[in-house]
Amino acid sequence: MTTGLEPWLRARQGPMTQELLLKPADFGLGQLPTRLHPDATADTVCGFCSTGCGLRAHLNSAGEAINLTANPTYPVNQGMACPKGWEALAPLHAADRATEPLQRDGTGELRPANWPSAIAAFVERFKSIQQRHGNAAVAVLSTGQIVMEEMALLGALAKFGMRLSHLDSNTRQCMATSHVAYKQSFGFDAPPFAYSDFEESDVLFFIGANPCIAHPILWQRVMMNRRNPKIVVLDPRATETAMAATLHVPLRPKSDLTLLYGLAHLLVLRDAVDHAFVDAHTSGYEAFAAFVSRFTPQVVSASTGISAETLERLCSLIADHERVSFWWTMGVNQGHESTRTAQAIINLALMTGNIGRRGTGANSITGQCNAMGSRLFGNATSLLGGYSFDRVSDRAHVASVLGIDAALIPDAPSLAYDQIVDGIERGEIRGLWVIATNTAHSWIDQNRFRRLREKLEFLVVQDMYATTETAQLADLVLPAAGWGEKDGVMINSERRIGRVRKVSRAPGQALNDFAIFKLIAAAWGCGDLFTEWSSPEATFQLLKRLSAGRPCDFSGIRDYAHLDELGGIQWPFTERDALLTENEQGRRKNSEGGAPPPERSGANPAILPASGPSHPHSTFSILPSPLAAPNAPRKGRRLFEDGRFFTPDERARFYFDAPREPPEMPDSEYPFFLLTGRGSSAQWHTGTRTNKSEVLRRLAPRELYVEINPADAERLKLGQGVGVRVESRRGHALAVVLITPTVQPGQVFMPMHFETVNQLTFPAFDPHSRQPSYKACAVRIGRVANP
Amino acid sequence: MPGTSTDDSTLPSEASSSRFTRTLVDDYLAEQQRLQTPVQRASEAFDRAERSATSWSELIPLSRPSPGEQYAFEVDLDRCTGCKACVAGCHSLNGLDEDETWRDVGLVVGGTRSQPFQQTITTACHHCADPGCLNGCPVLAYEKDPVTGIVRHLDDQCIGCQYCVLKCPYDVPKYSGRLGIVRKCDLCHGRLAAGEAPACVQACPTQAIRIATAKVDRTSGTPSVDTSAFLALAPSPDYTQPTTRYISRRTMPANAAPADAAALRPQPAHWPLVIMLTFIPMAVGTLAPAISAGADPRLALIATLAGVLGLAASVFHLGQPRRAWRIFLGLRRSWLSREAVVFGVWFPFVLVFAAFRLTAAGHPSASRLAAPVGIAAIGLGVVGLACSVMIYVDTHRRFWRLSQTAPRFFGTAALFGCAAAFAVQPTIAAAISAGGVALAKVALELRTLRVLDEDEDEDRPSTDRKTALLLTGALRPVFSLRMLSALGLAACAVAFTAGAPTTFARWLIPALALSGELAERYLFFRAVVAPKMPGGPSA
Repeated sequence: MTTGLEPWLRARQGPMTQELLLKPADFGLGQLPTRLHPDATADTVCGFCSTGCGLRAHLNSAGEAINLTANPTYPVNQGMACPKGWEALAPLHAADRATEPLQRDGTGELRPANWPSAIAAFVERFKSIQQRHGNAAVAVLSTGQIVMEEMALLGALAKFGMRLSHLDSNTRQCMATSHVAYKQSFGFDAPPFAYSDFEESDVLFFIGANPCIAHPILWQRVMMNRRNPKIVVLDPRATETAMAATLHVPLRPKSDLTLLYGLAHLLVLRDAVDHAFVDAHTSGYEAFAAFVSRFTPQVVSASTGISAETLERLCSLIADHERVSFWWTMGVNQGHESTRTAQAIINLALMTGNIGRRGTGANSITGQCNAMGSRLFGNATSLLGGYSFDRVSDRAHVASVLGIDAALIPDAPSLAYDQIVDGIERGEIRGLWVIATNTAHSWIDQNRFRRLREKLEFLVVQDMYATTETAQLADLVLPAAGWGEKDGVMINSERRIGRVRKVSRAPGQALNDFAIFKLIAAAWGCGDLFTEWSSPEATFQLLKRLSAGRPCDFSGIRDYAHLDELGGIQWPFTERDALLTENEQGRRKNSEGGAPPPERSGANPAILPASGPSHPHSTFSILPSPLAAPNAPRKGRRLFEDGRFFTPDERARFYFDAPREPPEMPDSEYPFFLLTGRGSSAQWHTGTRTNKSEVLRRLAPRELYVEINPADAERLKLGQGVGVRVESRRGHALAVVLITPTVQPGQVFMPMHFETVNQLTFPAFDPHSRQPSYKACAVRIGRVANP
Repeated sequence: MPGTSTDDSTLPSEASSSRFTRTLVDDYLAEQQRLQTPVQRASEAFDRAERSATSWSELIPLSRPSPGEQYAFEVDLDRCTGCKACVAGCHSLNGLDEDETWRDVGLVVGGTRSQPFQQTITTACHHCADPGCLNGCPVLAYEKDPVTGIVRHLDDQCIGCQYCVLKCPYDVPKYSGRLGIVRKCDLCHGRLAAGEAPACVQACPTQAIRIATAKVDRTSGTPSVDTSAFLALAPSPDYTQPTTRYISRRTMPANAAPADAAALRPQPAHWPLVIMLTFIPMAVGTLAPAISAGADPRLALIATLAGVLGLAASVFHLGQPRRAWRIFLGLRRSWLSREAVVFGVWFPFVLVFAAFRLTAAGHPSASRLAAPVGIAAIGLGVVGLACSVMIYVDTHRRFWRLSQTAPRFFGTAALFGCAAAFAVQPTIAAAISAGGVALAKVALELRTLRVLDEDEDEDRPSTDRKTALLLTGALRPVFSLRMLSALGLAACAVAFTAGAPTTFARWLIPALALSGELAERYLFFRAVVAPKMPGGPSA
């Protein structure tokens, strides 16, 4: 065909081609489809998990986010994001967003209401319950998914304004164990690490953690390790992370405490103990060493199923390497003896001196985006700022910072989540306010919670969606703005405070949680307590003042803009630290300009303010001079480099207890051990948000599946993909079979994101952290015709 | 002040009393809707770091491919851990529709108790050396870039026939209902040209995907590449010569299988095609008894109406029918193009034949001319049907192989020929022929179920077995209808040999033929196993 006809015969241009045509966009974004070229960008921190990735929202001329990319300059993720981050905007536009308050009417239907009547109902019903049954008869279940300013306001409103006794949050389900373990062992809930430790370790132990799926961006940091590290995974399943490891240790479920004590014993035997560190910075080692002597390789092998040779190998890996880091997640935190298990990990780090140095640490990877904020400012177990409710001086101090009467502050911490549920059963708690969590899906032994709903006189659910399992049970639904529709800060796993920004309009009458709390405060008649809490940023200033002098001191952060300038800021960051940073930056600017660096200008302590009330060791050190290259992401800072802990004597403690068997073990009636966990990187918890993204739905399993070992499948005559009924003593779930040797015989695995899974789980709790043990219950499996 | 100015974000102050007012709600609602505009944000972006171009240098080739080379994806399986950021990054950076993804991540499981194995597999277009999509496209809406070898789709050229979807063994082209066309991965050719990495490469946190070059051998008739590093568990690379390399230091255990190996997925019915491929064979088949000198003119009418219906249905299959005039462009390679052109020529012959036949009574010349025109129409019809057969054979899908497809399509033509002849003029010969063809077809179709008697690994069923399981499982009601129609037809044929049927009853045979053939053609589309890359559990 001639060239003259070619353009007519073959349409290389046109509107459809144009739709995807890439052109260079501004703001360093590279090429993008022209219809998605932004007029501006705004940096924010992701609102799903605790990794705390920086995201860059692309804005149109009205300031609305039209697209989003990972922030290449943010030190956490360095231009990467997991699918949830990439899709973070999609859930905001879901058709089932709650756009107006809903009230259950006489016929039992949820009907639209306006804000004044909804708030009036809230106040009237809860006050009525309190008048009849006492203030403690109304309780709150909060969340790790809202910004810190909102958390703090909620905690203050509930306890100081509404005078409730019991507020707990869904962080109980993920982080309570780490909180208690650190608090006891280190004297403060202080995860000691920086993400850069992933890159600087010689040996990384992952215990009950599957970062490949659960925290993909942290696995990115592991892959950036140039030291050819040994990676050890302790997990009953051969997870994605186990596949990528040097050594996978498929121990029996919930036998980790025994295995960790066994390792401690071997280290003692081999005298691979850092005695200098132990003597100088810890207490209780001798008793611990004596205690673990009974955990001989024979004993440990028998109960964990791990050979003595493997135990020796693990011991060598710790003993023979300079930098060993231990990382744990929900496999440890969710257990019937989880606090001692976490502390067994901490003990290994302490006894071998693997703490406070590069590439070391006993490191808990947190779950939710702002679990760390909740741990400091949730006002549940700890008083705002990590203080104690039961200490008079702490109450007085907090009251003075907040400008309130100290008598308003309760003198005891709240009941834990499970105890609140028990309180409902006993009829002591009759009103419940649930914020941004989905108890009717996520709470262990889910059917019980649903039964107990009948015992509640008034259930309020505050959420982005009126369609969550819990909202559907509510008497009153308050429509909330979500991440991306409000301002505030969150704290990630490495203690980095990052900024969340409003880049999208909330639908209908939905309001940010901060505004809802303020409305309730006004209507309740306690608005005067919160005049200083006038905006999220004003509240941030208040929280700064509360943090001053605490281990988590971040009073050196000027304002939100300061967080933008430095790519988020890790606590502690005192005023002194701020000054040092400023000087360092000044020096860098000068040296970039070609001028010789001014003589010690930045490091001269004389020009620094007195440390004042700050913690005796304001641990400022930026490692290793990260600002050498312009725009190089700032590396992280770790705690305890001076070996001084937050206990009164500045020594870390060894905690230990004898291991116990899980309360429900497989038996002849229910012969399988059910493990639950994250099944895909595209799903987040109960799916209220991730199910709203078509892309994430495509990346997630469409239906509930159960992983089963080929030997068990053969015995039960189950083919790949057949439908089965998985049954426990508490409920049942229908699933399809995935036959895989990555689960061991006698064990099955189900992803937690599907609603029916928690009908199976057994309500066991760690006695110290009250965290539920989601990963251990007995089930049986039978074939069904159609799943 | 850069960033949020304090004035902007300060929430409305409360009235001094804690009195609850509607105003407060209104203030908060107004504040909730307020966004910072780009002008306010302008100062923030001033100093922003450009995406560093150097960071991609290890992941994309430094220069354009040399002659005899092309770009190709290279996946380091040891680095792929299944986070699926590549899929989401591709979606966002390329501005795809909400329900559109160009990349996918599957799972392979296997191994033993002591050495369990799993591997996630990221996959997109393989930019094949001999692309099935390109070779099948009737309008040349695909082109292989002469320098980069990227297989690009011309979105404004596409007519939405979706034949590429059937041709691609890796499930790559994706049909968009909104646009009425398919779209697919273009290896971010624009980004590569500008020295940027493709979206998936940019988005991978562990740098598991890079762009490499592959040597293309064009010495033989069809271009080929070294496919030894292609994924062993993927559909055979022999057909289209995919260029993606999957590298790993681990060896996959022998029993490794895709997590979705046993999944049964009924394929789309493509109703317009079901109708077309029933009525066009009907038209061709009915022409045969219609050409003899004394034939009932109603046969010519039936053939014409069936032809109209079949051709009209084919248009409804297209997402962009107004672009379909270009359909001749693919004649050199595409059986679909050939089919369209042949039936395009065929239909005027049918019309002329019918005109002659229907006017033959008063015009002897018309009667004389009818036969040769009719014979030409039959000849063209047979060629057209052969093209139809080849369209499906050329997809390399197992269920659509020649020995299944040709007897089905030509059998339909023969069955309707006999059935129509019987209906207008019942003869024992026509009845027996119709019954015989129906039974012969059913016998052929039932052969597909024989595989169920064989002893096979149920966890990794063969494609034949999957088709048989679909026919006897999810598709069983239609399969039963198909069988009952054919058996009923045969029974009627036997009954009619005993005594002449009533005028109404004689149409029972064509009616049963129609229901049976529509059902059979529906099953033809739905029970085929579409090859694809390994998928995830319950995907």
